[in-house]
Parts: sequence; structure tokens; C-alpha cells
Amino acid sequence: MTHDFDRRTLLKAALGSAGLAAFGSVPAFAQDSRIRLYWWGSKERSDRTLKAVSLYQDRNAGVKIDGETLAWGDYWPRLATQAAGRNAPDLIQMDYRYVAEYARRGALLPLDEFVGKSLDISDFDKASLDSCKVDGKLYGINLGNNSNAMIYNKAAFQKAGVAEPIDVTWDKFFELAAAVTKAHNGEYYGTSDGSGEESPYENWLRQRGKALFTEDGKLGLDEKDATDWFAMWAKARETKACPPADLQALDKNNIETNLLTQGRAACAFNHSNQYVGYQVLNKNPLGITMYPQGAGPSPGHYLKPSMMWSIYARTKVAEPVVKFANFTVKDVEGAKLLGVERGVPASPKIREAVSADLDAMGKLVVDFISHVTPKVGPIPPAPPKGAGEIQTMLRRIAEQVSFGRVSVADGGKQYVSEAQAILSRA
Amino acid sequence: MTTTAQIPLTIIEPEKTSKRWRGLSRALVAYSFLIPWLIGFLGLTLGPTLASLYLSFTNFDLLQDPQVIGLANYQRIFTNDAKFWHSMQVTFTYVILAVPLKLAFALGLAMVLNRGIAGLPLYRALFYLPSLLGASVAIAVLWRQLFAKDGLVNVVLGFFGFAGPSWISDPSYSLYTLVLLSVWQFGSPMIIFLAGLRQIPPDVYEAASIDGANKVQQFIKITLPLLTPVVFFNFIVQTIDAFKAFTPAFIISEGTGGPIDSTLFYTLYLYQEGFAYFRMGYASALAWILLIIIACFTAFSFLTSRYWVHYND
Repeated sequence: MTHDFDRRTLLKAALGSAGLAAFGSVPAFAQDSRIRLYWWGSKERSDRTLKAVSLYQDRNAGVKIDGETLAWGDYWPRLATQAAGRNAPDLIQMDYRYVAEYARRGALLPLDEFVGKSLDISDFDKASLDSCKVDGKLYGINLGNNSNAMIYNKAAFQKAGVAEPIDVTWDKFFELAAAVTKAHNGEYYGTSDGSGEESPYENWLRQRGKALFTEDGKLGLDEKDATDWFAMWAKARETKACPPADLQALDKNNIETNLLTQGRAACAFNHSNQYVGYQVLNKNPLGITMYPQGAGPSPGHYLKPSMMWSIYARTKVAEPVVKFANFTVKDVEGAKLLGVERGVPASPKIREAVSADLDAMGKLVVDFISHVTPKVGPIPPAPPKGAGEIQTMLRRIAEQVSFGRVSVADGGKQYVSEAQAILSRA
Repeated sequence: MTTTAQIPLTIIEPEKTSKRWRGLSRALVAYSFLIPWLIGFLGLTLGPTLASLYLSFTNFDLLQDPQVIGLANYQRIFTNDAKFWHSMQVTFTYVILAVPLKLAFALGLAMVLNRGIAGLPLYRALFYLPSLLGASVAIAVLWRQLFAKDGLVNVVLGFFGFAGPSWISDPSYSLYTLVLLSVWQFGSPMIIFLAGLRQIPPDVYEAASIDGANKVQQFIKITLPLLTPVVFFNFIVQTIDAFKAFTPAFIISEGTGGPIDSTLFYTLYLYQEGFAYFRMGYASALAWILLIIIACFTAFSFLTSRYWVHYND
């Protein structure tokens, strides 16, 4: 060794590491209960959530809530890994798609024993409660309802001199969209390409009296349905109502890269609660309306919990967690901070209170849900295992069709055979 | 006699033990410094690796206990899994293109920098910068800006009257943008090449030029042979890295491997199986296949190395 440590260097090093230790360690005496809170979503959602958290901490000395947030795609792998390591967060933002899967595998805490005590959801309507139940037990606290919603750039339709696409049929919709593209000299498209997205696909299937999956977890459609779907969009691509494949492929399935946000297309297929997230990222005023309709009387739309709070089965702080969750759905102040960004609150009292001082964006969402409510059908059964893989597969096949790698008919055939293979494996 | 015999013993004995003790305590010091690494190796590398070997023979959905199913995972991989073959093809294409290009690029720049130009440390740092950036979200955004339909690359091509496609979102080209990303991050092999070039004695070149060898001949006859140990090292390291490449595809395709699975690296497929579709047993089997492929490849490289690597001793 060429250099020696003198006393001063050693002292510095020791102080440095002591400082590090103090920075990294958690003072054990300061808090009585520490809650880990986990959610997915946009920055707007994080801002709102953290505001509610800080208000709750101010009111309840002794409770410390740590937030963790990720984008949808990264959220589920992380949750699964943490659950496998028996180290999942205490309070989990849960989706209707996954609640049955986690609940049946024993990862979630049944909440029935808290109801009427620290969890006051007595005024939730039956549908809002039932959609959070698995095999008769309550595993989720409804954070708000939503429905499919098409979000569109009003100015683009005005520029084209055509009507906004409010409650139109699919045929009319593509006609309007093609007019928008034409008015923008083909540099801006009337709608994004929805052929690879599950929500417009499911909505359209329901309009035909079909479904993604049946009650007993089988495929709820046949080859003709899938082929017709791809054919409808192939035609839209031909008339330039929607963009070509290489442009659409830039959409990575989140608000930030959606072609509406990117200023490439005028319509996005989404859910009503996401309107707020879209409007925040868009300069132009956005409209919100139902998905295009089918010719028949079957409703495509349904109301569902846009998300729910679920509690990890192994949590050590169940009671404080339930209290915080209750604060976000039943306390007027707490619920107001969340607004309608996670959906329209299920409690009528809270809905009224939240609506009273909503901004224009929030009011639009509430009005939309009121507009849709009389037109909805029943909520589909919780999706079977493998549903997530089928969703990814839909996008891949839609891209194969739009890039011209397979024909429309082969796309439909492939969708059905791959979906059946996935379901039989799961 | 006995006393004289005892005296040296009593003198030698403590010396011996103290020597032995010194050796032991030295070893102890060494091992105690190794402990942090050893704990990491046993707990974070060897343990999980062995656990994954066990899991590869099970059906494991992360939330419930694994059930042993024998060789079923491996059987499915080889007989009934089109995505396995597809992702293998993507990864091999990537390795075969990215590694030689990156090494050639790194060597070329190292030779330019080795000429003793002014401000060398600055250039060295600048060229190393892309490697430090790694595959981050910022890189994904940058790549999209460069290689989208109206990106910078197409603007430049437009000057020459050539209308390029949307490189990054067209399945025919998207993989090549990832190859370029890898080539662009040539910093660490370049630094190693630079060090290797410095080791070649200048008098060899002097002698060659006196004998009338031109630059190309000097490169082929002197530089390359003397550099082969460094080339070999870089080749092995970069190839293993390329087989394991995950983040570029994950970040740029946001985890999908799209469009149309064109950037579905083997590791990305493995990740999807394990973490997106909850088939951790199957994913473990995929991981072991990759491990065996990399091990075979490395062993093969070492075996052939004695025919083309010239050690200078």
C-alpha cells in the first residue's frame, strides 16, 4: 500500500458512513404504523393521491404512508414478484381483471369483517359492491365507477366542418374520421387504430351479442367475429380514417404515447376516468362520448369499478389500512382530493359532495357516467386465467394484419386458435 | 543433550507457530474482506440460480407453492412453443450483428485515438458517455426521435432525396435500431482496445516501416495478431452481454417486444412468461436453456482460441 490513512482521513470516513447510516435507517420510535401504498397511473393520479396521503397524515399523527407508483405495464410484474416474496404492499390498487386471480390464490384479505366498523360502505349500490366480490366475499373497496369512453379532439372535427362523433354508429364514425383526415391533408388522422385494443373490441363484440369470454371462462366469440373486426379496421385504414400501421405502432398503450396525445389522431378509445389524464396532457379541449354503436339493440357499454383498493393478506396493519382506504372513499375532504380521476364515486353522498366543486373536466366525466348509466348492460364475468396473454396476442395479430403480414381472414382464424390454446393451457 | 535439544525447540516452536499464525491470520483477513462478496455470491447468485433449477421442473405461478411436474416444461419448450424459436432467432440475429459491428467500431476509434491527438482524455470521455447512459427511458425517447417516420434520421435522408420508413415502429427494421443502439454504446470495449494498443511496442512498427510495410500491412501483420488477446476478451464479454440483452428491447418496446414480436429478445420472452403470465417454472426452464447456450458458446470460444489468439509470452 502506498498511502496510509491518517487520523483525519479515518475520521472523515467514519463520519461519512455514519451520515449514510443515519440517512438510510428508519427511526423506529417515530411512527406507530407504516403503510405501504401501491398504485398505477399517470402523474396526475400521483399528485392527487399524495395530496390525500399528506392530509391524512396531518390528521392522524402516528400513521406514515409510503407511496409507490408505476405505469400499468410494470405494475403487475412488480406486484406478482412482491407477493411471491411475501412482501407485497399493504394497500394495493387492484383492477377488476386481476382481483379474482389474486383473491383465489389467497393473496388478498377478505374485508367483510371490517364492513360497518372501520369501513363504512353501507350506501354503495349493489352493483358497485358485487363487482368487488369474489366467490361471495368482499376483496375490494370500489374507488369509483367508469365505463368505456371515446375521447376526442373537438377542434379537429370543427376544422373538418363535420359533427362531433357523439353517439354515432361505427359506419358514421369512420365517415366522420375520414373527413377529419382529409381536412388535415392526411397529416392528422380522424381516429387512432383501435383494432389491437381490447376495450373497443369487447364493446363491439357485446354489441353483436357476443363477449370476450363466457361465464365458464371459454372463448365468447367465433372466427367470423374476429375476422369481421379486423376487416372493419382494414377498411378504415384504406379510407385513411385511421393511420397506417407504422404510425399506430408508436402507441405503447399508455396516455403519454397515445396518438391523440401525440397530436397524430383525433380519437382515443379509453375509459371515462382517463379523460382527466388525457385533458391534462392535451392543449386542445377534449370531448368525451360513448364508443361508436352497433346496429342492434345490445349495449356494448357496462359500468365497472375503474379500480378498487385491495389489502394484502399478510399485512400487519390491517386496521390502519382500512381506515385510510375508508378516508379516500367516504371522507368528503379525502374523496374531493381524489376527485373523479379514479372514476365516479360509488357513494351517492360523496358523489354529490365531489360533484359540487368539480372543475369542468370532472363535471364532464360525471355527466358522461349519468348519460351512459341508462344504456349499459351487465358487467361481464371476471376474466379467466390467460386473459392478459390474450390481450397481448390481440395487439400482435392486429399489427400483423395492419402491416400486411397476414390477411384479414387468417388474422381472425389465428386469433381464435391462439386464444383457445392459451385458455386450455392456463 | 536433552537440554541442548530442548533449547532450540523452545526457540523454534514459537517462531513456527507465529509464522503459521501469521499465515492463518493473513488468510483470515483476506477472507474477512471477501465476506461481503461471498455473502452476495451465495445469497444473491448461487442460491437463486439453484432455486431456479428446481423451479424449472415445477409449475409455479408465484402466488401458490410450486408443484413438481418433471420435464414437462422442457418438453413443451422444444416441441410446442413457436415463440421460443422465434425469440431465439431474434436474439441470435442481434448477437451476430451487434457484436462484430460494435467491436469493429470500438477498435477503429481506439486506433484513431491512439495516434496521440490533442485533448485525448476529453475525446475518450465523450466516446465513453453513451455507455454510461445505458438503456434508460431517456434513450428510448431519443431513439424514437431519431428513428420515427419524421425523425432526425429521415430528415437527413430526405436531403438526399430518400424517404425512409418509420425505422423504429416497422417490424422489418425495428431490430436493427436496437443493433445500432448497441453499437453506439461502444465505450467499454474501446477503452480496453486503447489499453491493448498502448502495449504494442512502437519499435515493431518502426522496423516494419523500414522494411517497407505499409499501414494496412502493419495493421494486419502486427496490430491484429498482437491485439488478439484483447480482441478475444472483448469478444467473449460482448457476446455474453448480447445474449443477455434485455433492457434495450424492454425500454424501447415498453415490454411488449413489438411491433409483431420483432424485438422479442429471448430474455424478454422469458420475462413475459415469468412476470406477466405468472409461469415462473416455465420461465426458469427458459433461463436454464439460455445459460447452457452461453456456457457452450464460451467453452467453444476458449477451445478455438488457441488457433487464433497469440499470447505474447
